[in-house]
Amino acid sequence: MNKLNSFIQGYVSVVIRGEQREQFVNLATKKRLEIWDVRFRGGQGITMKVLLRDFFEFRPLLKETSCRVHVQERFGLPFQLNKLGRRKAFISGFFLFLLGLYVLSSLVWKVDVQGNVRLSEDEILKAARQEGIYVFQWSFRLKNQEDLSKRLSHSIPGVTWVGVEKHGTNITIQVAEATKPDERVLNNPRHLVAKADAVITDIYTEQGRPQVRKNTRVKKGSILISGIIGSEQNPQVVVARGDVKGLVWHEYEVSVPLIQKEKTYTGEWKERKYLITGDRALQLTGYGKIPFAKYDIVEDREDAKVGPYQLPVGMMTEKLMEVQYIERELSETDAKNVGLQQARSDVLVKNGPNAQIQAEKILHQEIKNGKVYLNILFEVEQWITEELPIVQP
Amino acid sequence: MRRFARKIRKMTTEMLDLPQDVVFDLPRVTMMGDVQVHIENHRGVRHFSDDRLRLSVSTGEIELTGSDLIIRAIWPDEVIVEGKITGIQYMRTGESR
Repeated sequence: MNKLNSFIQGYVSVVIRGEQREQFVNLATKKRLEIWDVRFRGGQGITMKVLLRDFFEFRPLLKETSCRVHVQERFGLPFQLNKLGRRKAFISGFFLFLLGLYVLSSLVWKVDVQGNVRLSEDEILKAARQEGIYVFQWSFRLKNQEDLSKRLSHSIPGVTWVGVEKHGTNITIQVAEATKPDERVLNNPRHLVAKADAVITDIYTEQGRPQVRKNTRVKKGSILISGIIGSEQNPQVVVARGDVKGLVWHEYEVSVPLIQKEKTYTGEWKERKYLITGDRALQLTGYGKIPFAKYDIVEDREDAKVGPYQLPVGMMTEKLMEVQYIERELSETDAKNVGLQQARSDVLVKNGPNAQIQAEKILHQEIKNGKVYLNILFEVEQWITEELPIVQP
Repeated sequence: MRRFARKIRKMTTEMLDLPQDVVFDLPRVTMMGDVQVHIENHRGVRHFSDDRLRLSVSTGEIELTGSDLIIRAIWPDEVIVEGKITGIQYMRTGESR
């Protein structure tokens, strides 16, 4: 009898007692029962090992030979399983663990997008979701990766290639974006004309025919770069393009009050706390009269959170800060400087990023009604081009 | 009739030079040193104790003597005995050939 086989089927060691024990052995072998290791035990007993399957066939033979059987020991898998079977919770826990491991590992836990520059990740993830790639999707429900790649590269606009790779529970979407040439701005044929009266300091023509030169004085509206080229007999209309810089004069009137009011915090403060739910607030602390004549309220609201979820309750802290208005008197020169500064920044803001103040001059300065009035002339170097469409006959 | 059949069989074995155990249902005893005996074509156990084993065979009985005898395995026509074997005795009974 094969040892492994008998272990799997299970066997028992039994004692047979009786006068006709040899006859019992003979009958058992005749019935082709598997018995082995027959030993003499003295007196009327013999021990033997028998397959569990065959043990149950003993009964009629025992009757026939009037022998008695007694099981000594049990061996083999069926008995061990039986023993295990009694620890049902343990066994079921073990299988549940395996099942859980399997289930969790067959989910998609992470979707990564790589290689996108122009396209947003959300856009790609959205397209991927359409194809069934999303977090908590079952891995086995995904189509094969080649198919997915193909379909995704069709469904996401502006990509040349999409690769979908699966590493365990992670999915990586590799994107190669199509490089698109910059779209050309469509322009009407046009002239470039002066925005203001100016003296040209620099002219650079990209397309068109320049009509002015450096140091030319131009009036507002006069053509700087013409959009009509070619001979007089055979004119051609183009989009004039270029940069023209010129000196432009700006006159500014500024008034600065000599007495300046300023708000300052005194440093005194009081706190009030509220418990809020929805749009109702319950004041918790800070009852009593407010000891300040004038104050600012700074609110700070904190919502209670559990993980990423917002709870409908929160705390609000109000900080009442005492304020004081102080008046400051400026000297005339200080006021003048303030006014100049204001005027300068205004000029630079209004005349484009490349504007540069070349010179400034105070034309008039006077104190009237507690204010300093200034009249300032700025000489600014700036872009002076303006488009003028050419109306074709 | 049986005697006639027996004669025919004996003649064929002699003519065809067949081993006798195949034809006559004789026991075949294989012994490995004094530790194991393999007996084929037995007809059942007559007696078994740790110093004596009697097996019936077609033409009589075989008696093994020794000490610490165990039947390692037993099938309807085959038995393997282990232990310290000191003797084998063949006892012929029944009809003669």
